[in-house]
Amino acid sequence: MDTLIIGLIEAAPLVLAAIGFTLIYYLNGFINVAYAETVTSGAYFAILFNSILGLNFYAAIVPAALLAGALSALTYVAVFRPALRRGVGKIEMIVLSVGLSFLMRHAVRLFFGVDLYLFDITDPSYLSVFGTGVTSAQIWAMVLAVLIAVGAYLLTYKTTYGQQIRGLASNADLAATSGIDPTKTSVLVWFVSGVAGGLAGIFIGVFSFVDYTLGWNLILIIIMVTIIGGIGSVRGALVAGAATGIATAVLTNLSDPLYAQVFLLLLFIAVLRFRAAAARSVKTLMARS
Amino acid sequence: MNALVFPLQGLTIIVCLGVLLHLQFGRTGIVNFGVVGFSGLGMYTTGILVVNYEVPFALALLIATALTGLVAFLLGLLILNLESEAVLVATLAFSTIVFYLVTSESWLTEGVVGLGTVPRPFDVGDTSTSQLLFLLVLVAIAAALLVYAARLQHAPYGRLLFSIQDNETLSRSLGKPTFRHKLVFFTVTCAAMGAIGGLDASVNQFLVPRLLTADLTFVVWIALVLGGRKRVFGAVLGTLLTVGIFDIVIELYVDVPREFAQQLPNVQLMLFGLTLILVILFRPQGLLGERRRKPQDSPTAESRKKVQA
Repeated sequence: MDTLIIGLIEAAPLVLAAIGFTLIYYLNGFINVAYAETVTSGAYFAILFNSILGLNFYAAIVPAALLAGALSALTYVAVFRPALRRGVGKIEMIVLSVGLSFLMRHAVRLFFGVDLYLFDITDPSYLSVFGTGVTSAQIWAMVLAVLIAVGAYLLTYKTTYGQQIRGLASNADLAATSGIDPTKTSVLVWFVSGVAGGLAGIFIGVFSFVDYTLGWNLILIIIMVTIIGGIGSVRGALVAGAATGIATAVLTNLSDPLYAQVFLLLLFIAVLRFRAAAARSVKTLMARS
Repeated sequence: MNALVFPLQGLTIIVCLGVLLHLQFGRTGIVNFGVVGFSGLGMYTTGILVVNYEVPFALALLIATALTGLVAFLLGLLILNLESEAVLVATLAFSTIVFYLVTSESWLTEGVVGLGTVPRPFDVGDTSTSQLLFLLVLVAIAAALLVYAARLQHAPYGRLLFSIQDNETLSRSLGKPTFRHKLVFFTVTCAAMGAIGGLDASVNQFLVPRLLTADLTFVVWIALVLGGRKRVFGAVLGTLLTVGIFDIVIELYVDVPREFAQQLPNVQLMLFGLTLILVILFRPQGLLGERRRKPQDSPTAESRKKVQA
């Protein structure tokens, strides 16, 4: 029971990361491995404000998350948008994002070294939830995860921007002819996704420590569970993102990383095979009728 | 001269893996993001058999190759008929599993403590001569792989593989059992990666899990993409320009200041990443690739034009 509650609490940052990753995957249709570095960057920006400049931890969160969002939008404008415009294929886009991930990860390592950084929190008040001790930072992580999830939902379903995002994701050409500015809309999505990723990085850092492999160690799990969850719509993506985070946290808490990874790979293969088979049977049904 | 032999052995290993990746990705379109998983499985199987069970090297290498082939066959059976994105993720996950396996099952692999010492496959008495001979054996293997890749270009079997990459549905409609061909080809090339990994065990002599991180996979990928993934000599050129420049030219002949030397491996991976970005953006077919396809030839540009009209 304890591991389950701890799993759920530690899921909050993963949920944030999964939502951010899913937004990009939904909009641009490629796996962005460099998202790992967006997560890492959030943690390092916060370290910069908190431990190095001495800002209060909660005050450091805001500028750090915004900077992570800006960095994410910058990677889109500087690297991914030019590539998409050149008609780079789906697999090459992933290879490109791996290259960017290498560049950013080792740039971080160059500036910050291989040291582990810890956050300096002045009031680590301990609370008790169902008999399990939690810190105030963990509560904050959960609150922010819920806020971001609700915010992302409202953004995509209740605003004009959201309409544009959904239009762009389902048919980019049609959206462009209807007068939607694809760049402006995409930049917004990449920014929001970067903020979510940055916050995820910060809270993962608070729960343990910050080093340059923080995001990289998570990205494969995020990718796999996001694909298992399936990307049908933003709504589905948000649910999948939340489920991803919780599943991952419980999985990694309950068992050895080796077995968690084996289990995840088998589940991944089973789900994709089932989905492919389902798609084939729909096609044959349609061909018959 | 002796200082050159060890880095050249490592370089030749990367070339071999690069040619095998060219056969998988450049020829057949199988997106293998788990190169290090297959080579690492071969490496550790060979190492464990030789060090822990005192099996003769040749036999250990043979068992390692067969085992890697078997694992690749089972994995391929499950994933090769899925879309390429799924193959990419699944192979990457597979290599992570091999990494965890080696790290956590330390009763067998010695874990992070390290497994050693794996001897050279043969010993002619004098260490440096043996090392040189071993290098020549590796170069001969790389050459053999290159000859095979070059001949495949003009062989009917090569064209069949090419058709699978270009349009698998069409190829299947012509009566070719594409899945079976992919599975067999994947099994054989992955088994070869295992064999190369087994030889690499002997190059490194001391095995630690750090040799099995995804970095190796991406070094091979970067070399191949830079050189030209569809070109037989793409992996060779790419490896020379990446690993060759850093591990041999700079490491041995450039006098790097001490405080900077520590950062060198880090700067190297950073530049590799940058190279990959630039190649995909400006010359996606690689340095040896054919002339750049004009944007108006591509189907996406055409449909975009139609929309604008």
